[in-house]
Amino acid sequence: MPAVGFFELGAHVIQTHSITPKRDWQAAREYVALHATPEDLVAFAPRWVDPVGREVFGPALATLEREARPDETRFPRAFEVAIRGGHVPALADWRRSSRERFGAVSVTVLDNPSPAHVLDDLVSRVSPDHLRVSRVDGGREEDCPWTRATAQSGQLGFGTAIPADRFACAGGGFVAASVVEDTEYYPRRCIYAPPPGHTLRLRFTDVRIGRSLHGHHALYVEAEHAQKAPVTITFSIGGTVVGTAVHRDLEGWKPFDLDTSALAGARSEVVADIDCPTGERRMYCFEADTR
Amino acid sequence: MKVPSLRLPERIGWRDHVIGASLGGVYVCALLATAHTIGFPRDEGVYFRAASSYVGWWRLLLEAPTEALRPSAIDGAWGLNHEHPPLMKTLFGVSWWNLHEKWHVFADASTAYRFPAMCMAGGALWITYIFGARAWSRCAGAVAAILLGLMPRVFFHSHLACFDVPIMTMWFLCVYVHWRAQEQGGMLWALACGVVFGLTLATKHNAWTVPAVVVPHGLFVHRRAMIRALKVGRISLPASLVSMALIGPLVFYALWPYVWSDTLARLQWYGEFHLNHEYYNIEYLGRNYFGPPSPKSYLPVMVLATVPAVTLLLFGIGGGERIAAGGRRLYSWARTKLPRVLPLLRKATGATPSDRGETDLLIALAIGAAAGPFFLSKTPIFGGTKHWFPAYPFVALLAGLGFDRVRSAMHRALPALPRSTRSAAEVALFASVLAAPLAVTAHSNPFGLSSYVPLVGGTAGGADLGLNRQFWGFTSQNAAEEYLNENAPRSATVFIHDTTWDAWAHMQDEGRVRRDLRAVGAPGEAQFALVEHELHMNELDYATWVTFGTDAPTYIVEHDGVPIVSIYRR
Repeated sequence: MPAVGFFELGAHVIQTHSITPKRDWQAAREYVALHATPEDLVAFAPRWVDPVGREVFGPALATLEREARPDETRFPRAFEVAIRGGHVPALADWRRSSRERFGAVSVTVLDNPSPAHVLDDLVSRVSPDHLRVSRVDGGREEDCPWTRATAQSGQLGFGTAIPADRFACAGGGFVAASVVEDTEYYPRRCIYAPPPGHTLRLRFTDVRIGRSLHGHHALYVEAEHAQKAPVTITFSIGGTVVGTAVHRDLEGWKPFDLDTSALAGARSEVVADIDCPTGERRMYCFEADTR
Repeated sequence: MKVPSLRLPERIGWRDHVIGASLGGVYVCALLATAHTIGFPRDEGVYFRAASSYVGWWRLLLEAPTEALRPSAIDGAWGLNHEHPPLMKTLFGVSWWNLHEKWHVFADASTAYRFPAMCMAGGALWITYIFGARAWSRCAGAVAAILLGLMPRVFFHSHLACFDVPIMTMWFLCVYVHWRAQEQGGMLWALACGVVFGLTLATKHNAWTVPAVVVPHGLFVHRRAMIRALKVGRISLPASLVSMALIGPLVFYALWPYVWSDTLARLQWYGEFHLNHEYYNIEYLGRNYFGPPSPKSYLPVMVLATVPAVTLLLFGIGGGERIAAGGRRLYSWARTKLPRVLPLLRKATGATPSDRGETDLLIALAIGAAAGPFFLSKTPIFGGTKHWFPAYPFVALLAGLGFDRVRSAMHRALPALPRSTRSAAEVALFASVLAAPLAVTAHSNPFGLSSYVPLVGGTAGGADLGLNRQFWGFTSQNAAEEYLNENAPRSATVFIHDTTWDAWAHMQDEGRVRRDLRAVGAPGEAQFALVEHELHMNELDYATWVTFGTDAPTYIVEHDGVPIVSIYRR
């Protein structure tokens, strides 16, 4: 009995005195800043330590594109910054090329066994220079102008924040680049385009077309439980429908992959039509890239 | 002159109550000394307001009874937070009015509101000591009381003007008084059962499970008398149970003016509110639960993760001994029925000492009734561990018994030691059992909900396992103390996340949060945003990234390196 008591006390002392010092984090940051390229992923493990990673590494390294990534396929290399033996589960099959320790922080460099080469990321093209948005109602197409208003957010349950810069449709509906919380509570950078009960049409201009159009879509986590009608997104390239993806409630951050190999090499307009018979709790967000 | 002996008489008496009260008193002092370190959870803000409203009505009753008894006056005062019964909120209000407003005993209103709940926590230790001393030994009682107080979650909740620790105390007191009534008999104990049960009903709805303990226990204790009575055509019931059935509801009704009119409808609403309570979010093993089915492993895992291991080990020793004793007793009984089938046990030499109070059965029923509902898939788990607190005094009692048995074993193993060495060994044993719970509990403050015991790796281990980090939004105080009060510009706007307006205002009133800081309800409206880390709250983190244009917090409130609150600055 005394052994158990003293063991517990000893464990408590060790646990409370083995907190990772900030200087270890800072040393790791310096290493990553020196070696990581913009194409690389920088990720923190275990998951709960992510805020500390973002705090120390700052937005230049812990970028929104890395933190709220759609998946890991586009990154040729990953810098896994970890404490307590943590790992990013999605990188489990990647090849380890090096590992450095900075006190209690380890930085493991991992190579993606089959990286995808992204030509154009549609989320990065949400601006009036590269995107036109319209609302289609019974064959009539009304333009949704690019506006700057106050960013909208709220308390728990408000859902995905609406940034200040967005396309706003007369009569309801908007499109903006934001971050959705998926059913696993992960952040996903995406194009927030809740269908207002009519079709939302997004025309991405001058997109480099590759062999596939790869993407994901989801509803804001609480809306995933609303049990309403599915949301459909249909992609057309140069007037030809290349595929449709349907998102039903509780499917979470659902991937889709559309074959565009027949059009590979072209530069073209990519049109995404988002449809749902109801606008109620359809807090829909999608991302896509050409690769 | 003859020096009076310091040795306590064998019989448990008033001196033991002095010991129990002292243990409780020390605990209340520790709670008072640390009260200012814990911010105000969501619920407290509501209860503070209800408490002031209720005590206002009592003052009106004293000053203008006719006015106070008008239904509109009753509903106006008692309609607030009528989903919970009145006893604790009334006491919070009485304490606030007298100890803060009138006599200025407490400089902070919040401490005055919280004081009755702290006294309830102290009371739990007192009753635990007395119960343990009467059931087993003074040593068992003392260790049980201390181990109960040194459960980190109990220590955290004991600070709050909420109902979780008070119902633990009242539920336990109810069972204790019932036990004494079975042992002692007599009308006074029976009447006490009724009154205490009524007070328990008026504390929190967990009281509804008390009958699941006292009814089968009372019937078992009195089984022979009841059978004898039945044989002569009479019905005999334990007086304590009759008293609970009759006096309990009357006390409950008398204390709650809100149900004086429209009684049945309001009671029905009260019952249905809790029987069909909505599910709130809570993280468990990395998954967010906000509806049935609740995981059946939740209670055992959370107990292992939040109660010191040495306490649980002692509980295992004490409980194991009582189970073995119960098994032997059951076997002996069965053998009287089936002597040819069941052989005589070699160890069953002496008769089991008679226990008129059937303590083992009572404790088993109590733990079962308090913890059992959390194995049902429909029982919400959003309260973390606090909703099964009524089981903890009984767990502590068995842990106290376990300590007693370990101590006896040590004495048997070391019979020839000189008295001073023996005493030193006892002190060392006592220290070995209490040191870890004391260190863990002290270290958990003020992040009692984020803290986990060494068995699972402490706070960081809990985070690794994906156990709930916190709830109720009380850590905004820590964000203010560690960062905002020093760094925010004058009149800065702060998104206060899960903290209620009431709680924030109280923290400003008491100078815990700078008074010029302006709370807002959305990250988009704020210069500073607080994100209190809970899995399902991640959306507010992401909303802050979008509206602030950065995903990097400017400061993080941490406990053992685990993020508790991220603070963003625009």
